[in-house]
Amino acid sequence: MLKINELKASVEEAAILKGLNLTINPGEVHAIMGPNGSGKSTLASVLAGREEYEVEGGSVDFNGADLLDMDATERARAGLFLAFQYPVEIPGVSNINFMRAAVNGKREHEGLEPIKGKAFLDMVKKKAQLVELDGRLRNRSVNEGFSGGEKKRNEIFQMAMLEPELAILDETDSGLDIDALRIVSDGVNAMRSPERSFLVITHYQRLLEYIVPDFVHVLVDGRIVRSGGKELALELEEKGYDWIKEDIVA
Amino acid sequence: MAYDGKDKVLEEVTGKSYEFGFTTEIESDKAPAGLSEDIIRLISAKKEEPEWLLKWRLEAFAVWQTMEEPNWPHLNYEKPDYQAISYYAAPKQKKQLNSMDEVDPELRRTMDKLGISLEEQKRLSGVAVDFVMDSVSVATSFKDKLAELGIIFCSMSEAVKEHPELVRKHLGTVVPTRDNFFSALNSAVFTDGSFCYIPKGVRCPMELSTYFRINESGTGQFERTLVVADEASYVSYLEGCTAPQRDENQLHAAVVELVALDEAEIKYSTVQNWYPGDENGKGGVYNFVTKRGICHRRSKISWTQVETGSAVTWKYPSCILKGDHSVGEFYSVAVTNNAQQADTGTKMIHLGKNTHSTIISKGISAGNSHNSYRGLVQIMPSAANARNFSQCDSLLMTDTSGAHTFPYVEVKNPTAQVEHEATTSKIGEDQIFYCLQRGIDAEQAISLIVNGYAKEVLNQLPMEFAVEAQKLLSISLEGSVG
Amino acid sequence: MDNAKPQLMDRPKAEAKHAASETSGAALVSALDELLGVQADVALDAVPVPHRRVERWKYTPVAAWWKDVLASEVQTVAAAGCEANPVPGLDAYRLVFVNGTFDAAASDLPVHTGVMCMPVSQRGDAPLQSADAFSPEESDWFAGLNGRYSQEGLYLRVAQGVELDRPILIHHHTCGAGVFNVLRHDIALGLNASVKIVQWSTAAAEADGAVNVLTRADVGEGARLHIDKVQDEEGTVRHIAFEDIRQGKASQVEVHTITVRGAWVRNDLAFRINGQGAHAELNGAFLPGEGEFVDNHTTVDHRVPHCTSSENYKGILYGKSTGVFNGKVFVRPDAQQTNAYQQNANILASDMASMNAKPELEIYADDVKCSHGCTVGQFDSDALFYARSRGVGLEAAKAMLVHAFIGDVLKGLAVTEVRLEVEHRLAEKHGWDVWSDHLNDDA
Repeated sequence: MLKINELKASVEEAAILKGLNLTINPGEVHAIMGPNGSGKSTLASVLAGREEYEVEGGSVDFNGADLLDMDATERARAGLFLAFQYPVEIPGVSNINFMRAAVNGKREHEGLEPIKGKAFLDMVKKKAQLVELDGRLRNRSVNEGFSGGEKKRNEIFQMAMLEPELAILDETDSGLDIDALRIVSDGVNAMRSPERSFLVITHYQRLLEYIVPDFVHVLVDGRIVRSGGKELALELEEKGYDWIKEDIVA
Repeated sequence: MAYDGKDKVLEEVTGKSYEFGFTTEIESDKAPAGLSEDIIRLISAKKEEPEWLLKWRLEAFAVWQTMEEPNWPHLNYEKPDYQAISYYAAPKQKKQLNSMDEVDPELRRTMDKLGISLEEQKRLSGVAVDFVMDSVSVATSFKDKLAELGIIFCSMSEAVKEHPELVRKHLGTVVPTRDNFFSALNSAVFTDGSFCYIPKGVRCPMELSTYFRINESGTGQFERTLVVADEASYVSYLEGCTAPQRDENQLHAAVVELVALDEAEIKYSTVQNWYPGDENGKGGVYNFVTKRGICHRRSKISWTQVETGSAVTWKYPSCILKGDHSVGEFYSVAVTNNAQQADTGTKMIHLGKNTHSTIISKGISAGNSHNSYRGLVQIMPSAANARNFSQCDSLLMTDTSGAHTFPYVEVKNPTAQVEHEATTSKIGEDQIFYCLQRGIDAEQAISLIVNGYAKEVLNQLPMEFAVEAQKLLSISLEGSVG
Repeated sequence: MDNAKPQLMDRPKAEAKHAASETSGAALVSALDELLGVQADVALDAVPVPHRRVERWKYTPVAAWWKDVLASEVQTVAAAGCEANPVPGLDAYRLVFVNGTFDAAASDLPVHTGVMCMPVSQRGDAPLQSADAFSPEESDWFAGLNGRYSQEGLYLRVAQGVELDRPILIHHHTCGAGVFNVLRHDIALGLNASVKIVQWSTAAAEADGAVNVLTRADVGEGARLHIDKVQDEEGTVRHIAFEDIRQGKASQVEVHTITVRGAWVRNDLAFRINGQGAHAELNGAFLPGEGEFVDNHTTVDHRVPHCTSSENYKGILYGKSTGVFNGKVFVRPDAQQTNAYQQNANILASDMASMNAKPELEIYADDVKCSHGCTVGQFDSDALFYARSRGVGLEAAKAMLVHAFIGDVLKGLAVTEVRLEVEHRLAEKHGWDVWSDHLNDDA
């Protein structure tokens, strides 16, 4: 589904990703862990098509298409979803209208008619239950005045609405208390399927107790330096990132 | 007003006579009143200037004669009679000075009264002072120490003689003679001022300082200051002004030009407390000053001013952000009391890419005074990703004073981000009451509140200056709430 | 220095000297007199002819006026091509003026106790309000022109306590070439009276010339006046509009100015707050496109204590367009406890657009709360990326942000049908299907 080959990227002339390789097959859940500044969030932004990030080299294949050749909208419509670490507030745009524009954008891409009002509302109702997002939040401006937990739940709600093929969760656990973490994780787990893949970016192992990955990769200084099964996360938790760093040097 | 105490304090403070209102009696060499080509030739000859400078002055004079004194400021004053002013007054010196000891004892006493004795400055604070009395520089200290680093810090007259190539290269490049009525006048008749050059890569180790002082009755003051910071150099320049008490309005029309070459930084701080006139506005200095700096690539110019004096102030220290990534800053506290009028602010002209500017202006109006902020933020089409933030606050102390805000925002590039905010409010009665209730008297409370209000700006001043500025704020304002 | 205190509003006189040398006002007036065949007695000598060196006209290009407008031959064009109702679904009384002439057939005047509502030409002996020392005619040359040449307009008197049941729609339509369309509306509301007015200006695609509309309103104690003012003019007509509002005690006046389309538009609002407890609200949205120029000038003069005013103007500039905002708040010495707020936010949506803003405060009283804010920027790139990462197209995402940006101004419009039609026309002009699609039904 996703094949990243020797990806190099920089932001404001500073090289962040220095030749990253990663392959994700349908139905797999991959976790990327790494210390602060290792390039985790940069990877998420580059994959989602953020323009401030300059791709210096390498390629990314997404279901046979050149991902790097698409703009952010096209990537989203092609089935790539990014749950933001810091969801953006858009005052004056209601959550519900925002989602309708997104859903209809996707439908247009698929050659479908815009969704009917009733069908859309039913869909909203159903998906909102997944993350216990109450109606009040649905009608408010996008993320405006939401608590940290509400914002993250809103991200997962949006993911459920758009039903992506690949979902990237960028530090979705940051700023969540245990209850919110459980709700968010349950929402994600409910969406796991043989056709849908996940890339879970996190600093801590804790999230991976709730969203259990098939593979764990460690990102240090813009490269994946170690890959393994879910036990690698536990090992990291125990020994810390310095262990990996020393290991590389050695 | 709710507090009798404040009225009492107001009377006390407004009744206070000007502390620095004394006259120094030195023999003076003074030109007859009036302005003509002959007077300009006289000034130039007295100063033994080269031909090019005389020519430049005469051209400026020709331009000035075609210009009209501006009407647009929010100021109401009787326009000076430019033919009734004497354009040259140099203190008579018996001979060339060889050391500090030879400085006229009267002058030395003046300095002592101002609290800026050269000796003390030298000993305590490491500030080099270029002392200007009625336009002619009479003493400069620390010269040798600065010379070791290649720093030139001298009077403009001396610079014309000793470093003509530098002066000629930069003079009038930032403020062209025809820029405005007052800059043209200054270009024609300026008598002296300061010149400063910091060589490439040099960080000036001390604050450079000039005290201006208008002394001779009926004379105008037309200094010309030029500061050139060569590539990757740094200088902090302080300018302080005091003027003795006079009954006639005195004219001051200075020009200050700053040149910050690539990656250089100039910090220019001013404390201005010229005689504001009496409580009816009688006497007092007319201050029409053109200050402007040009910023080349990755350079920075920061203007900080504390304006408490003058009957009329017309002053807009500005930055032309020509080089990419250059930075301009303007921090100002302007206090007006009694019948004072100030129309002051800044212009930030963004030409280069990624240029940033910040404007913080705090106006305080007391008595029957009027205090106006006038500013321009201009983003030219070439200035991609320019940023400006402006905050202009006004504090009103009495119901007979005025606070006005005239910001101009002109944006011609869509990647610019410009934000302007302004507020006008009365000094907080609840704040004063809170202080009173805690046993702080009204005078002290107002001083506290005003200093807090102006803190963002005062913090920008070098330490020694900040203390003086706070003292000045207290003198002009303590308890002057109505 | 005895009279050191600057006098309020004494400054245009100093400027007059400057401007007079630039364009001869007398020559222009006599040319117009000839053109229009008018012999009027309103003198224009005291007012400076607009020019860039006159502060009020610093950012407003007027040179083309003299060239185009005065050089053209004024033609009388038969009223034609005017939409029957520019605001679908709006149930309102209607006065239609085509090229400055009242179109009785297209109009629908109220028959209502305590309401006198008719074209100025049919008012009989009823007196018009006169200009005074503070009227725009005294400080603006174009307002002076209006005083000299206007013959027609709305004449409205609403008696004490009367609330008009439906809004009054004034439709100005301009068609043909070389039109000089001058109108003056004269409104007076009695104690606690209330009325909503919609001013809708349109012009045909081939129209050129000038539209000059002055609305004078005297709003009595406790009265409420809401004006929704929409400018959607095709062609190349230059539109200048003045509001001269005088507010009594505890009155409320709102003027919402939406400029959908217009080659050259200047709005100049002057509010005089004469009675305590009054509230003034001035909102505007302007979205000029390629080659368009929109200028909003406002003056709020707080003359008495305990009043509030609020201003909110939003601009989004496309193509090679230019916007101007100049807001002036005066607080006079007696106007203690004034609370005045002014906000102007702008988005430059194209490389060629430019915006000039000048939010001014002149405060002569101390116990006041006054603030203004002004921003010029672009679309929030984080919000755009967020929307795009959800599959919303770039243009649709921008349209969404536009709607959010001017939403508070549009929501303030007094008449819902006007808001819907404005949204529809804006969407049509800018090709925002996402607007008409679903942003308006609050699901």
